[in-house]
Amino acid sequence: MHASLPASGAPEKATLRLGFVALTDCAPLLVAQRFAASAGLELQLLRQPSWAALRDKLLSGELDAAHALYGLAYGVQLGIGGPQADMAALMTLNQNGQAITLSPALAQQLRSGQSLRQIVATSPRELVFAQTFPTGTHAMWLYYWLAAQGVHPLNDVQSVVIAPSEMSATLASGRLDGFCAGEPWHAVAAQAGAGVTWIVSSEIWPEHPEKILACRRDFAALYPNSARALIRCVLQACRWLDADSMHRAEAARMLAQPQYLNQPEALILPRLLGQFPPRTDTPEPVRFFGNGTVTYPWLSDGAWFVSQYQRWGYIKRDIEPMTIAAGINQTALYRQAAAELGIACPDGDVRQSVLMDGTHWP
Amino acid sequence: MLRVLLVTDTAKAIGELRATLLQQDYDVLPDAVSSTALLWAVEQQRPDVVIIDTESPSRDTLEQLAVMNATAPRPVVMFTPDANQQLIRAAVGAGVTTYVVDGLAAEKLSPIIEVALVRFAEDDRLRQRLAKVEQQLSDRKLIDRAKGVLMDKRGLTEAAAYELLRTQAMKQGQKLADVARQLINMSDLLG
Repeated sequence: MHASLPASGAPEKATLRLGFVALTDCAPLLVAQRFAASAGLELQLLRQPSWAALRDKLLSGELDAAHALYGLAYGVQLGIGGPQADMAALMTLNQNGQAITLSPALAQQLRSGQSLRQIVATSPRELVFAQTFPTGTHAMWLYYWLAAQGVHPLNDVQSVVIAPSEMSATLASGRLDGFCAGEPWHAVAAQAGAGVTWIVSSEIWPEHPEKILACRRDFAALYPNSARALIRCVLQACRWLDADSMHRAEAARMLAQPQYLNQPEALILPRLLGQFPPRTDTPEPVRFFGNGTVTYPWLSDGAWFVSQYQRWGYIKRDIEPMTIAAGINQTALYRQAAAELGIACPDGDVRQSVLMDGTHWP
Repeated sequence: MLRVLLVTDTAKAIGELRATLLQQDYDVLPDAVSSTALLWAVEQQRPDVVIIDTESPSRDTLEQLAVMNATAPRPVVMFTPDANQQLIRAAVGAGVTTYVVDGLAAEKLSPIIEVALVRFAEDDRLRQRLAKVEQQLSDRKLIDRAKGVLMDKRGLTEAAAYELLRTQAMKQGQKLADVARQLINMSDLLG
């Protein structure tokens, strides 16, 4: 692998405990292990059974850093529905790669030309949609998609969380109408015939931010060399994942192993490559690097989540989203680490996005 | 009467709390065995307290309920500042997370957490006791082998061999099993 000469000092802490949840987009952390030795680090990967457990262990110090939903760090920073702590986002791990799956019955109704709004209004029972964590990205994609069709996600339907591994069976039982989660759970539901991958997340917000490398802010402050070394390892991993589709095939093989996703490689790989059968087109799949545009911790990305918490009434007090983002996203650390690898950084901290309903952000 | 829901979707024996809680006159609802079951149970049966393994994959379901619904069980650490923090830390340390309805008085919650704590502290003691018994068993085997070596090489009786080992251990201030291990290693070396 590429040997990298660290410009910053030796890591203050050499053995880092990294949490992850069994999702395809934890791939950067798996691959980062290959680059750890040259950065003077040993990375221990610890699979977590829930986002709540991952959060608690980050806060208690049992984990040093983690593969985390973008919104998880922001929710903890703002103390929404749980403990409050100062959080840090060291870098973005990926864009895109999530989806919304619908029950075959609901998909059929939509195909027949009824709007979701009509279906919700005339349904004899309340429709139920599941996601994975209250302040998480999947909740926000689901809510955005519903709202873009004139359906209020909190008033017009029931919004619940169930474990991703149970999504397919719950859909099949008829008690759930759709879910938003990461892969490979959409592939699992499609394979079981329990659901239809209706829309992929890059169709809600092209090149949306998804998972981050999260830690407590005091970790980044106390161990800046370790934090930079970790960013370097993960940046190299992201670059490798995007360099060649053969690398993605190799990543799928790694992810399939029992200690990581424990799901068949045949369900993981197609969606890493943008194949969503029975669709014949190839909507934009997960991206890990994009020459450093994916990995940069854009302040405008973080601010979006704050704006959505305001939109859905999670926070009532008056706060400035960009100020919150500037506290969490460690752009200075990231820039130093990227410079050490010769990876380009943007001039500013804001990128322009257009979402599915035509809204420009910021 | 407080309504308690136990979530039993991991290897940790949360379900074993049932008998004790029933004895203490709590209303213990049917166990939830998955996050889906937990969701419907909370909606339909409105438990006051949910006890769940910290490593349960169903915890995120409760996190959502805590954000969305004021009457749903909430994580105890955040919502009951007056509860006995020491007790709660100990419960979390024992691998049990408790979610309670906002405003539930600490004195009502404490006995439930205590039951969980005693139960899982007991588990821990059992594990330690088992480890000790296993250690004793393997020590015994070592000592028997060492006795065999002495009986064989020095023509001693079993009692005399044991006495020799014991004297040696006392002289060196070492454990009997350690002396036995040294003797066996040495005799392997000498053939």
